Amino acid sequence: MADDLNTAQADASGTPIVSLEAITKVYGPTRANDGIDLEIAPGEVIGLVGGNGAGKSTLMRILCGVETPDAGRIMVDGSLAPPSYGAAEAQAHGIRIVHQELSLCTNLTVAENFFIEAPGHTRATPGWRAPFRARASAALERVFPGHGIDPDALVGTLTIGERQLVEIARAIATPGVRLIILDEPTSSLSANRSAQLISFVHDRAAEGLAFIFISHKLKEITEIATSVALLRNGQLVWRGHANDTSADHLIDLMGGSKQALFDSPSGNAGLEEKVIEIGAPYSDTPIALARGSIIALAGLEGSGQQPFLRALYRNGQGAKRRLPAAFVAGDRQKEGVFPLWSVLSNISIGRLAGRQALATVDRRTELEAVETPAAQLRLDAARFDAPVLELSGGNQQKALVARALVGQAPLILLDDPTRGVDIATKQDFYQLLRRIADAGRTIIWNTTEDAELVFADRVLVFAGGRIVADLTGANITASAVLAASFASADKAAETEMTPFARIGRLLTALLPYASLAIVLGLMFNANPITATSFGLDLLLMPAVALSLIAVAQMFIIGGSEIDLGAGAFAALVSVLAATILFDITIFGLIAVALAIAAYSSIGALIQIRKIPAIVVTLGASFIWLGIGFTIQPTPGGSAPAWAQALVRWKLGGLPTSILLIAGIAAVAIIIDRTPLGVVLRGFGNNTHAMRLSGWSALRYAVIRYAIAGLFAATAGLVLTAINTASDINSGNSYTLLSVAAVVMGGAALLGGVISPLGAVVGAVTLTLIGALLGMMNIPSVFNPATQGLLLLMILAIRSLSMRSGDETG
Amino acid sequence: MRPQLASFLHANRWVWTAIAVVLLWLLLSTVTGRWSLASLSGIVTSASFLTLVALGQMLVVTTGRGNIDLSVSAVMTLSAFLALLVIQGDDGRIWIGLAATLALGAGIGLVNGFLVIGLRIPAIIATLATGYILATAALMANAAVVAPKVSPGLRWVATGRIAGVPVIILVTLLVVIAIALVLRRSVFGRQLSATGQNRTAAALAGVPVNRVLMTAFVASAMLASLTGLILGAYVGGAFLELGQPYLLQSVAAVVLGGTLITGGLASAFGAFFAAILLILMVTIMQIMGLPRGTQDMVQGAAVILVLAFASRSAMTRASPAGPAKGDGNNTNQSAATSKS
Repeated sequence: MADDLNTAQADASGTPIVSLEAITKVYGPTRANDGIDLEIAPGEVIGLVGGNGAGKSTLMRILCGVETPDAGRIMVDGSLAPPSYGAAEAQAHGIRIVHQELSLCTNLTVAENFFIEAPGHTRATPGWRAPFRARASAALERVFPGHGIDPDALVGTLTIGERQLVEIARAIATPGVRLIILDEPTSSLSANRSAQLISFVHDRAAEGLAFIFISHKLKEITEIATSVALLRNGQLVWRGHANDTSADHLIDLMGGSKQALFDSPSGNAGLEEKVIEIGAPYSDTPIALARGSIIALAGLEGSGQQPFLRALYRNGQGAKRRLPAAFVAGDRQKEGVFPLWSVLSNISIGRLAGRQALATVDRRTELEAVETPAAQLRLDAARFDAPVLELSGGNQQKALVARALVGQAPLILLDDPTRGVDIATKQDFYQLLRRIADAGRTIIWNTTEDAELVFADRVLVFAGGRIVADLTGANITASAVLAASFASADKAAETEMTPFARIGRLLTALLPYASLAIVLGLMFNANPITATSFGLDLLLMPAVALSLIAVAQMFIIGGSEIDLGAGAFAALVSVLAATILFDITIFGLIAVALAIAAYSSIGALIQIRKIPAIVVTLGASFIWLGIGFTIQPTPGGSAPAWAQALVRWKLGGLPTSILLIAGIAAVAIIIDRTPLGVVLRGFGNNTHAMRLSGWSALRYAVIRYAIAGLFAATAGLVLTAINTASDINSGNSYTLLSVAAVVMGGAALLGGVISPLGAVVGAVTLTLIGALLGMMNIPSVFNPATQGLLLLMILAIRSLSMRSGDETG
Repeated sequence: MRPQLASFLHANRWVWTAIAVVLLWLLLSTVTGRWSLASLSGIVTSASFLTLVALGQMLVVTTGRGNIDLSVSAVMTLSAFLALLVIQGDDGRIWIGLAATLALGAGIGLVNGFLVIGLRIPAIIATLATGYILATAALMANAAVVAPKVSPGLRWVATGRIAGVPVIILVTLLVVIAIALVLRRSVFGRQLSATGQNRTAAALAGVPVNRVLMTAFVASAMLASLTGLILGAYVGGAFLELGQPYLLQSVAAVVLGGTLITGGLASAFGAFFAAILLILMVTIMQIMGLPRGTQDMVQGAAVILVLAFASRSAMTRASPAGPAKGDGNNTNQSAATSKS
């Protein structure tokens, strides 16, 4: 029935939104795209198919302006795209892509992620989030009725499936969108949600929106698409109406065979030794697996096969093995290859990993050990010394299998090893696996391709994290597997945080504030004078500079970097203030401005050269110190009167230092809450996603460091004003204290998670510890140790509560 | 460049540092008009202390994920004090002193390792915190030392010579060669590199990653404590700022020596030559009469420039987003899961 509808739309198409003409892209010896023509008309749903390495991803990257073609033309709305055609232009023409790897910032809310994708002309006014909140709710409701996602929820707290919903809804809700590319969109969706998506695509296509739908599920393609484009080896080999093709036809075109390669396997009846025992939480009834067989893990993707395989490798609860195991990762880049090594080293680590640490390694024995498995896998020995990344995906995967074989482990765990592997290599795999099993090794094989189940002696079907069917021999049929996985699919409740974990998280979030309260309480108790306005003012004055440096540090940490020169930079500005600025105001201001410019250029350098901030800023700290030392070799100078006035004013009976600190916190919070602050945090979490959404990493690196530089420079000014003199060495201790304050205050070093209020509270707490120890008659030598222990305590508690959260979530 | 030479240079990136050392030394000799090996021996002696600390730092950096040991300077200072307190200038007590210092180092390394592995605190923060705690211990030890006295035996290790070659240089060379051998020829070297390149992959390949990490932190702290012990004898006592300059310099030596700051690739000889290079730079600046401020600036700028330009080629690694050949399509679901 869908087909009639599709045909109608395909005929109704007008001027193409985009047409790609003779697009060619070459990487080294590979022609990833070889003269591809593709026209996309309004209302069309193109199913884009092809094996891995066929060139689909490259073509889509070119279409989205992320990649520039080596040859060929891109016509947008009937006119030639400029040579500068980039992500921003593609977006301006309403082209949006939903990636397989999610491109959301997990540290931002759902609504903020909608802002990142399509900011429009948002101004930093209170309530600027409201339109994005509304857009998020409306879009989600439209595509996935009954989604139950709060637009103010942090994406990091959503399940993978929910994130996928947000991702799709976000692309669809973009104003002016005309072409949406969905790259494997249903891979983490339940059957119900997939159906909602497919029906939405049909509805919107009828309204003129165009879609490119990339999927390996050919049946899905034939259901959803109006036309199909099939790529092979970088060329467009077939383009036609969806009703003119079928899954089998497409497989033939891709060069694959729909015929089973083997008959159902013999099995090893003789070997009945039980090597694996499975129990709760995976199965209520114990399951024992025998030696010398191929056991496949099947089910819908993400139904618990991978966690089970990992648990089995760790020999964890409910997945006990009696023999050593080797693991073959399917996600080669993230979990498989060692990119700096040759092919040989990548294979032989499988043999070396478990040996005595001081045992020796030599090339000859390495080669001997690798020879046989490499030959079995048809891996070219002449390429052993090539860097592993020069191999194709399929050959890299062969190297990983060879790695498992050289270890001689009797159990081999495979995590979807044929993902992204060409069909010829797959066939090598299947034969090899059979041979290995026949030789008495046991293979546990997580597969996402139902066709591969034919090679298994036994199939465990997963749904919702549990084994729902245990099939052997003649019972292994695609329909049995599908029936079992779908029967329980709706029951696959999306995991939620337990109330216990929620309370744990909340208490952890309150830790920095509780620490401050305890320190203050102890102080008031030890010496009631501290509770007066005068006492607090005196005690907290030193915290003003630290708060400022901590806020500076916080913005850097918000970018998943760290500045080991923040204290030195503040000291440099302090020196500038006490010397040049004191002598001739205008020169001083220029000097400070130059210093901030130099500081933010460090940020640019880190961004452009992709070098670790820790070391660059450590080096920069020496430059700041050196300049300061050159200007003022010994402590001295004087504070400008206006700078002194900055910290000496009075407002009623309130302690000035508290007002200053509150002001710093307020400014930091406001910056953090503005659209700019959200963008900065987005970069700290997912730079790649921010780039795809059209944000310039370099520009925001410079802005980030400029903001941090402003806060650190203000700290320098405050130091000079309070001490009425400057000392280039005065900043040293502030650097590490500022990192401690930010981390204590609830920031994570990676992932762009920061808390401005927490950072300031951390700075105040760390400052007060010294005073508190003094009041309690504890020698001041214990000051650093107390600070260190407090930091460790808070981090330890946080890490333990996070872990309990991980286990439930 | 011929492919063999290219691959040799790729595998032995310390060669560049060594060439720089020779060039700078030629420059120094030309400027001063004195071509003596004696001046070089003084420089290498100073560089030896730096090398020992840098080797430990290098092992930690090589474990990857931005790991760094910020506690080395505090460990050095505290060890120098501890050695003074335990040995009390008595040659008979050297072994007890050595054992105590190394035990201290091992203990601190274990604590750092536990914080990083057990509590999953980022190394930079964990070692920062232990550094604070050690600073207190050093302050207390400073108060406890009344009359610092270095034992003659230890002084000989720090300042003596065998056949005209300073003992400390020989000790350092032994350590450098031993670590270089371990990195190149031992299973541990492979395990360390694997862990640093891709910890998840290493764990799945069967590498005992936690043990590797722990070993790196323990080795770093023990090397720092050994250096503190000998450096204390070299300067004739201990003082609170003893270890301070060694933090930046150890990181600088690691980076200049061709060790990848992102982990997975280390060079012991590189660290050794880079230490010499750094000391040589400072010496030349001193001879040229440059003020301290300028010396600091040059050192800082050198680290940044080397990072920004020289080590670029080796640092280009497969980016998951990049167009890996014929492999652009792997479903990254598991990655997304593990990230959350």
